[in-house]
Amino acid sequence: MAENILQIKNLKKVYPNGTQALKGVSFDVKKGEFLVIIGLSGSGKSTLLRCLNRLHDPTSGEILFKGHDIAKIEGSAVRGVRKNIAMIFQHFNLIPRHTVLSNVLMGRLGFMGTVGSLFGLFKADDKQKALKYLKLVGIGEKAKMRADNLSGGQQQRVAIARALTQDPEVLLADEPVASLDPATCHVVMDYLRKVNQELGITIIANLHFLSLVREYATRVIAMKGGEIVFEGDPKEINDAWFEKIYGAGAKEVHIN
Amino acid sequence: MIASMTKRTIFDSILFAYFFCVAMLAIFAPSQAEMLNLGRNTLVFAIGLVLGAMISYGLNKASLKTLGELIFEPAYKKASAEEVSWTKQAWSYQLILFLVITFTVGSIMTKFSLTELLDEDGFAGAARLFKGLASPNMDLLPRAVLNIIETIFMAFMATALAIPIAFVLCFFCAKNIMKGPVGFAVYLILRTFLNVTRSIEALIWAIIFSVWVGIGPFAGMLALMIHSIASLAKQYSEIVETVNEGPIEGIMSTGATRLQTIWFAIVPQVVLPFISFTVYRWDINIRMATIIGLVGGGGIGTLLIQYQGQAMWPEVGTIILVIAFVVWFMDTASAYLREALK
Repeated sequence: MAENILQIKNLKKVYPNGTQALKGVSFDVKKGEFLVIIGLSGSGKSTLLRCLNRLHDPTSGEILFKGHDIAKIEGSAVRGVRKNIAMIFQHFNLIPRHTVLSNVLMGRLGFMGTVGSLFGLFKADDKQKALKYLKLVGIGEKAKMRADNLSGGQQQRVAIARALTQDPEVLLADEPVASLDPATCHVVMDYLRKVNQELGITIIANLHFLSLVREYATRVIAMKGGEIVFEGDPKEINDAWFEKIYGAGAKEVHIN
Repeated sequence: MIASMTKRTIFDSILFAYFFCVAMLAIFAPSQAEMLNLGRNTLVFAIGLVLGAMISYGLNKASLKTLGELIFEPAYKKASAEEVSWTKQAWSYQLILFLVITFTVGSIMTKFSLTELLDEDGFAGAARLFKGLASPNMDLLPRAVLNIIETIFMAFMATALAIPIAFVLCFFCAKNIMKGPVGFAVYLILRTFLNVTRSIEALIWAIIFSVWVGIGPFAGMLALMIHSIASLAKQYSEIVETVNEGPIEGIMSTGATRLQTIWFAIVPQVVLPFISFTVYRWDINIRMATIIGLVGGGGIGTLLIQYQGQAMWPEVGTIILVIAFVVWFMDTASAYLREALK
């Protein structure tokens, strides 16, 4: 039995406008697993991921990362957690005018002095690392191109490389393939699996398509209205569960 | 909802208070001394405000839409409103009344007079002036050119020195960066300070600085610089407020500090619009530097006021020609530059 890398206990998030995005969510994440969170838009998936690396501040509850509560820490401690829990996004969130390499090097910002980083004084080691991970996601030859000249799938791979240069233990993926076409979708998901299996990085991903969930996830959590309604093996999700999560009348869409 | 009603009431009240004051003036025709009684005038205006608020409330209650309601009505109410002919609503009469009163009062205030405009002597004087301007004295050209170079450099220095200060300030007065109670307080104080600075014309700053550092181009440059800092900081911060949040989230998620996030996620997004606004500001500064010279800010403006004071129109004509050429050139050049930077 692998150890728990993350333990979430009764996590709640209320936005300033009164929306209850998370209504007491509890679950464990085991080291090295590929956990997928599914649910409708607005079910709290994105909020949950953003609470885990403290891009959002949870209202109450605990997030134990390797045994330490990170739900209420502040300042440089938060930045330390973010270095360890990297993230990729639906819209990639790269810096458009910078080169691919420069974007990947951003993953080292948290390890550098502020002044040095502002002058772009990245160490030779950092550049080596950045190039290594660009090769790992199959776009080593694009290092000198401007990030906004790449296709969506390639941009997401740059984002993965940026996350990897942080040397993280956990990688959060917020709808990583939602703005990609089906073919590219699988390429990106395959790289995520590679990261998970070869580098042993724990992955927590929000996904929309159940066919992808069945193919890639080692475990699945379903959310509805800010609560967990299902937790278990992806193969256990049947039509009855599907209706419960997505509402009656919903039909599953397959992408191959 | 409450905010829109407050805005409506304030708008209608001020409008009515204005009508009320004009009516009082027309009825009582006060003497010059009475006109200067600020205390009583304020009281009359205040009465107008209160009456206006009551009338505004009453009219809207009777669903006769007032002008304030028309402007500040929230979108959801607009969508559900029935079509009513404008002749049956209060706002159209408010608007007509406003235009009629304002034109009447305005003509009296500006002493608008066709007889003076078409007066023969006056017309002959203007013709003499135009004749002088149309036959510029080219002997003055070298002097004018030297002075306009001084003006251009005055504008350049003012802009260049304002850039770094405005660049630093703009992040402190951008709402999307200054979050939290402390941040918001800093944002508010700085915004107010810059708005006040900006609302004082560069001309006034030039007068202040000409007393401070003496008449000359240095005073003019300082005046332009102060004004440029306030204007650029505001324009820069508005650009910062419209940046795409995605890269900010992306950089923050790597564990970067706030300064690193601003530098790597925001600055690349804003640098081109910043340059574009800065070029435009230089262009504006050259035009303003000319005017500032009139109050002792140095450069071509000072030359202009000297010859104008002696009614030497051919010389003034030369100066105006030089100014027009430079302003036209800078205007066109900056337009091309800004187009290319889009």
